[in-house]
Amino acid sequence: MIEHLSAEQISQWMIGERTPQQERHVAECDECRTELRQLETTLQQFRGAVREWSDSAAPSAWRQPASRGLWYSWPRLVLAAATLLILVAIPVYWSARERQRAAESEAARADALLLERVDSAISQAVPEPMEPLVNLVTWNSSPAEKNNKLERR
Amino acid sequence: MATAVESSRELDDFEAVVRLYWLKVFRFALASLRDRHAAESLAQDCFFKAYKARHSFRGDASVATWLMQIAVNLVRDHARDRRLQFWKRAQLTAVDFDTAGRWIPDGGVSPEVSALAKEQVQAVWAATESLPERQRTVFLLRFVEDMDLLEIAAATGLKEGTVKAHLFRALQAVRERVGGAK
Repeated sequence: MIEHLSAEQISQWMIGERTPQQERHVAECDECRTELRQLETTLQQFRGAVREWSDSAAPSAWRQPASRGLWYSWPRLVLAAATLLILVAIPVYWSARERQRAAESEAARADALLLERVDSAISQAVPEPMEPLVNLVTWNSSPAEKNNKLERR
Repeated sequence: MATAVESSRELDDFEAVVRLYWLKVFRFALASLRDRHAAESLAQDCFFKAYKARHSFRGDASVATWLMQIAVNLVRDHARDRRLQFWKRAQLTAVDFDTAGRWIPDGGVSPEVSALAKEQVQAVWAATESLPERQRTVFLLRFVEDMDLLEIAAATGLKEGTVKAHLFRALQAVRERVGGAK
């Protein structure tokens, strides 16, 4: 293992100048990794502070909207997503409900038709093939006709 | 990355370019000059020059880099202009960065950690003030504007190796100030 990174090597590291040996060392050395992380954090905080400070010093016409941080916040995103979901879900729900109602109505009509056919079928006195014979017979014959038939026998 | 043609077309709507990059130019000028009025004036000069020169823009670099190149030259001229040295002495409109600490987000850290962060940010700010102009420019472009080495080279007209050398010296000075250098 090589020695800890020197002050110069840390500065070189920050500008992207690093050797494979140094990278291996940093990967294994908590002390060097912590020092690099602290420097990176300080520089990031410096960047953030200068940006915020210059935003506040800029003429109002050029200033970033004050609420921009809130705009990108998670609660706002969740609220926006929920609103979008509701707006999309309502028409989809109504459409599905209409389809379901139409299907139910169709099924009811089909059931009614089937029952009608069943009623029709069970109301027949004789099977269908015998219907022509039935037509030849007068079921509602008068008593005189009945007597004639008996006399013929 | 935008092509040369796309970069050139971006300048067709110059008003949009001003809206998009004004804060960036102003921020660099303010961090370099530490004077609000001077920074505003420099930002206006920068866009005025850019507007006049927009037809000669070839799109070799992005519009942002091109504008920063103009801003860097203006900052350099400003620093060299002895007539404006009174700004440095008088600091009549200087913005107070001592309160920079209040821009550090607490982020739920302890008061001790927050106080240390504020102290370190102010130390970096103080260190950059005492840097030579070239080193300060390169440092601000890298660590505030987040530009890479090639963009900084394009904006400053320096070679990449020279940019690295300035950045290295600036970092050494800053680390000495914040107490990190061994």
